[in-house]
Amino acid sequence: MAASQNYLDRETSTSVAIGATYEGRDPALLERMLPLVDYVEVTLETISQVNDRGISLSGDIMRELKNIGKEAQIIVHGVSLSIGSHEGWSPTYLRLLDDFLEQVDVAWHSEHLAYTKVDGEHLGIMLAMPKTEEALDMVCERVRAIQERYGIPFLLENTVHVIPDCPSDYSEAGFLNELTDRTGCGLILDAYNLECDAHNHGFDIPAFLDELRHDSVRELHVACGVEHNGILLDVHSQLARNSTVDLAQEVVRRSEGSAQVVVYEFMPEAIPGLGHPAIAEQLRRLRAAFES
Amino acid sequence: MDLATQQRKLLGLFRNADTVCPDDDPYIRCIAQSKHLAEGRRNILLWRVFVLERTCPLTVNLLRRRDLLEETLNDFIARTNIYPFRETQAPAFLDEQCAHSDRMIAVVAQFELALMRVKQGDPRTYVVPWNVEPRAVLNSLARNLPLPDEIQEGAYQILISRDIPRQFQIFSLQEEDGVLT
Repeated sequence: MAASQNYLDRETSTSVAIGATYEGRDPALLERMLPLVDYVEVTLETISQVNDRGISLSGDIMRELKNIGKEAQIIVHGVSLSIGSHEGWSPTYLRLLDDFLEQVDVAWHSEHLAYTKVDGEHLGIMLAMPKTEEALDMVCERVRAIQERYGIPFLLENTVHVIPDCPSDYSEAGFLNELTDRTGCGLILDAYNLECDAHNHGFDIPAFLDELRHDSVRELHVACGVEHNGILLDVHSQLARNSTVDLAQEVVRRSEGSAQVVVYEFMPEAIPGLGHPAIAEQLRRLRAAFES
Repeated sequence: MDLATQQRKLLGLFRNADTVCPDDDPYIRCIAQSKHLAEGRRNILLWRVFVLERTCPLTVNLLRRRDLLEETLNDFIARTNIYPFRETQAPAFLDEQCAHSDRMIAVVAQFELALMRVKQGDPRTYVVPWNVEPRAVLNSLARNLPLPDEIQEGAYQILISRDIPRQFQIFSLQEEDGVLT
């Protein structure tokens, strides 16, 4: 289990690296993406398979990832740790993460500041944490446990708000500031999630950015979904809009060197519709946008 | 309202399994009537559709043509406690459809589930009996073409095994040599 020192030894710069999602089983896409990215983001839930022994990492995909070698750094981004579930996190996810980190060197790993299950019942969707003192104490304790368990940087991402937030002790940015202050964990800011929250709930992005302490932001996500019944859905099925890229640029500028990578996220189901050339072009555009 | 209570209440609302009482927290009462809850439930359905369209396209395609996809998926979501792992969803969904009262949906699901298993290295051999000629049905589902107006009836079997080229073979039980593909 070895972490890349690059993450810790970063230089202050306004330019950032580019990353992209890769979920395996599409070597032609990987070949097209590798010259354009510095990081490959892997979601363990998507590269796992089910057999008689239960859920395990796909051997075929693990071989693909190991073959990436020095062409790009791997970062792990989970969706089912459920760090915010009142009864505890998912041991299945941690077992997969243990297994993955035994085999592949990663720069860091991350999860969503959210919960996906309640009392062992899976929601089928990811819900954001209430910004309460109780929730903050619980998440901080779990972040510390994860940091101790793996000894590599751990980041948490702002999740899209499927439903409006409950009355809380903290603002969105205040909660993130306190979380990073108490634990030292880094943040992923998903620019598209912020746009969804602004569109769906009137979330004030400029006020959020003004309040957020940007020196914890290590990674940004750009993506795009679809609108349904006036609600912008976080489904990662489209190319990123210019507004999302502009917002990510603004965060990078404010982060003054702490942000290291902008990752374009798309779900595997969207690949046939998007097409490999369009995904490659998206990555070229991002590289151009974040080189200066 | 503490965290556990809030999470349990929201789970109930998303599962459509909880009713809101007058003494519930105002936040929960507000969410219960929110358009965001309805859209959130729709979102859960959409995610399942996205994943299953990729992982079990034949069965999903047939359910859609029968105008049963949304109803079947909503039942599946309500009754099953599925991990958010993409690859766990298709086996569980297909397993349920294998017993569908529509005979054609059942055999397509049985075929697709068996094929999925042998592709993942399952050494067993599966046999799925059909009472219509399978090629025309599978071909139209795989290529997203209309189902033939008339499908030839008869006794057929599909053998699914990793030891067969392309992992499956169709047999007519009425013909001497029997092998169709």
